[in-house]
Amino acid sequence: MVHLGQYVPRVSIIHSLDPRVKLAAAVVLSVVILKGDTLTQCWITAFLLILVHASHLNLAHIRAAFRPMLFFLGLLFFLHLLFTAGTPIPPFPPWPVTITREGLTTGIFVIWQFSLLILSASILTMSTSPGELISGIERLLRPLKRVGVPSHDLALMISMAMRFVPTILDELNRIREAQTARGTCFKSGPVLRRMKATASLLIPLIQSIARRADALAMAMESRGYNRGPRTYLRELQMGRKDYLALLVFILAMGLELGGRYVLQNGFP
Amino acid sequence: MIQVENLSYTYDGDETPVLKGINVEIPRGFHLGIIGPNGCGKTTFVRHLNGLLPTTTGDVRVEGLSAKNPSDLYRIRQLVGMVFQNPDNQIVGMTVEEDVAFGPGNLALSSEKIARRVQEALAQVGLESFGNKAPHALSNGEKHLVCLAGVLAMKPRYIILDEPTAYLDPSGRKMVLDVVQKLHAQGITIIHITHRMDEIVGADRIVVMDRGRIILSEEPKAVFSKVALLKNAGLDVPEVTELMWQLQKMGHPVRTDVLTLEEACRELNACLAHAKPQSRKE
Repeated sequence: MVHLGQYVPRVSIIHSLDPRVKLAAAVVLSVVILKGDTLTQCWITAFLLILVHASHLNLAHIRAAFRPMLFFLGLLFFLHLLFTAGTPIPPFPPWPVTITREGLTTGIFVIWQFSLLILSASILTMSTSPGELISGIERLLRPLKRVGVPSHDLALMISMAMRFVPTILDELNRIREAQTARGTCFKSGPVLRRMKATASLLIPLIQSIARRADALAMAMESRGYNRGPRTYLRELQMGRKDYLALLVFILAMGLELGGRYVLQNGFP
Repeated sequence: MIQVENLSYTYDGDETPVLKGINVEIPRGFHLGIIGPNGCGKTTFVRHLNGLLPTTTGDVRVEGLSAKNPSDLYRIRQLVGMVFQNPDNQIVGMTVEEDVAFGPGNLALSSEKIARRVQEALAQVGLESFGNKAPHALSNGEKHLVCLAGVLAMKPRYIILDEPTAYLDPSGRKMVLDVVQKLHAQGITIIHITHRMDEIVGADRIVVMDRGRIILSEEPKAVFSKVALLKNAGLDVPEVTELMWQLQKMGHPVRTDVLTLEEACRELNACLAHAKPQSRKE
């Protein structure tokens, strides 16, 4: 079975929070992480680790979230290491490149920053089911309806795209088998031939998706879609703990802003 | 009651009409079977019944409402639910309950009402515990039941089944047909398109379509006794009916208005009992 998303079903305070609170917090945190200095990084690291613990996630989950990003993080580090001007560090063996002290510190700082971004996004997606996430996005975008953003349709599009991922993967496998039975080889041979072989998968797949979309549109219409404003099985409702969490978060951000002001300008 | 009067339809860009003057009345609580060779217009016809295709010539009235009237269209779609052939192309939700909630959500009901309807609909098809499952993790029969539940959650009076068993294995077929039977017993009108004659031998009436016309509209017994006519239209009769028909052609004195295995056994038994003394004489 295809596993969709990174959602880790658990019973925790973080899981039970309103997805809007979590989404807003993740967005604000990202800005703070990107704008912050080392001191900010330190307390945000601590904050996120507390969140990880509070959402009953373990090291394996975090490792799984980081694995696909490792190459990118490494690349980021080396680019900063190699291309930052400053005081050179005398290399132990005579390396052909110069490494600067500044390069090393910015490299470390930047991958720290990005790790925090990944971590905060992972906590969000691991503690919020795709369905909740979508209704959260839908609800947050709803005020934009007045300027013509169709938030309902957008949310439905995202959720249907996710619903159809496994169906379309099945279809892709079927087409691959059918083409293999006709003698197409996908695994060996010259690159050009393999590219052509891939085209022989894509064209029938696109055709089948178009057919599906047509049938789906008809089925949706026959179930009364487009009648007017829709309602949902689960309408999001902010509870006391959601407001509390929001308050705590706003206070923390206020402290961050205030603290930074004090550090830079001294007490007013 | 659904009344269809003189309905004709031509697809955009086509020259020959797909439907040529269809007249049918479907009373409440009815079980109507529709059979006909591929391309005879069955699907086109039923798509007029809930306004998926616009009525251009003739008239379709559902409980007195006309789909020509835009303000009645969505009421008609709520009254007349449709289950299509391929369940993968009609499930929109990421979970079973979300999918079943799609219809009532379109009716703009409150969350509590939607939740109640989802529970009721899933119970009606026997999938109470499936609410949180992902659709692609279900068997084909179960997917069909989810589609049925999605329609039931709109509280329809009529349900159209467009070849619901085409993709199913025998156990999935039985699962779906049992539920359909149950719904019919609860008073829901069933309009059932199929290629499998044995599925509709219990129908109140069978409509036989061929090249855009209704060529026969009678009770199952009367329809299936016209074996030659059906074969001419490229259709089958239930296997037991065909057996009796062949026997009759060979000169045996059997009736051909036999639709089920039990009836056939009784008929053959009577026939053999009648024949026994004769064979002794020889």
